[in-house]
Amino acid sequence: MFKDLDPLLHSQLRLSVISLLVGVKEAEFSFLKEKTGATAGNLSVQITKLSDAGYIEVTKSFRDNYPLTTCRITTKGLQAFEVYVENLKSYLKPGN
Amino acid sequence: MENEKTFTENDSLEVISKMIKTAQQNFKDDSFYYIFWGWMVFIAAIANYILLMTSYSSPTITWAILMPLGGIISGVYSYRHERGQKVTTYTDEIMKYVVIAFLGSLFTTLLMMSKLGTATYPIVLLIYAIWLFVSGGAIKFKPLVIGGIINWIAAVVCFYVNYEQQLLVISLAVLTGYIIPGHMLKARYQKMQTGK
Repeated sequence: MFKDLDPLLHSQLRLSVISLLVGVKEAEFSFLKEKTGATAGNLSVQITKLSDAGYIEVTKSFRDNYPLTTCRITTKGLQAFEVYVENLKSYLKPGN
Repeated sequence: MENEKTFTENDSLEVISKMIKTAQQNFKDDSFYYIFWGWMVFIAAIANYILLMTSYSSPTITWAILMPLGGIISGVYSYRHERGQKVTTYTDEIMKYVVIAFLGSLFTTLLMMSKLGTATYPIVLLIYAIWLFVSGGAIKFKPLVIGGIINWIAAVVCFYVNYEQQLLVISLAVLTGYIIPGHMLKARYQKMQTGK
C-alpha cells in the first residue's frame, strides 16, 4: 500500500537540508549551502518553509559583525523525517 | 521548479543517503592537539631526564615553562579554529565534556603531586589512557585507541620504576599514544580533503 509522502520533505533541497541536519547537532547556513550546492536565495526560502512548519529551528546571531544563521532539527522535524522514510519504504518494497 | 516535479522516490533515497554520508564525513581535524601536546610532554620529559642526569638545580623547570606555554598556544589555536566551525556534530558535543573531564582530572592530579609522590606520573598516564581510548573510539580512529592501551601498560610499568625511569616511560608513551597517532590522524584528514 502506497503511503503519502510529506510534500514538505518530498523536495530535493528541503530533503537534503533535513538529511544533513539529522546527523549533526547544528549547522550554519554556509555549511548547508556548501553541502547542498544550492543558491543562497533558494536555500533561504526552503529553510524558511521548514522553519515555519516547525521542522527546524533557526537561530540568527552575529559573528565578527556578520550575520550568522544556525539551523538545527527539532523533535517534530525528526519525527516527520522518520515517517517520511517509513512511507518511502512502501514505494521501494519489491512487489509494490 | 521543474526539478521538484520530477523528484522521484528513488531520488529521495539517493538524497538521504548522500547527505547523511556527507554530514558524517564532515571530519574535524583535531590532530594539532595530539601532535602539539605529544611533543610538549615528550620534550619536557626528556629535558627533565637530561637535567636530572646533569644534576641541574631545577630539573622540573621544563614542565613549569612548557606546560603553561602549551596551554596558552592551544587555547589561542582552539579559539581561532572552533569559532570558524560551521557545523557541530553530536561527537563534538560529547568530546567537549570529555575534554573538560580529562583536564579536570589532570589538573587535580598535578595539584595533588606532593601527596601522590611517585604515583603522580602513573596516574597521569592512566588519565591519558582514558582520553586516548575514548577520543579514538568517538572518532573511530584505531591508532588512538591503541595509544590508549599502550598508555595503560605504560602506567603499570611506571608504578614499578623510579622517578628518572618514569620520565623515559612517559616520553615513550606520548610518542606512541599522541605523536604517532596524531600524525596518522592528520594524514587521514588530508587524504579525506583531497579525496573530495
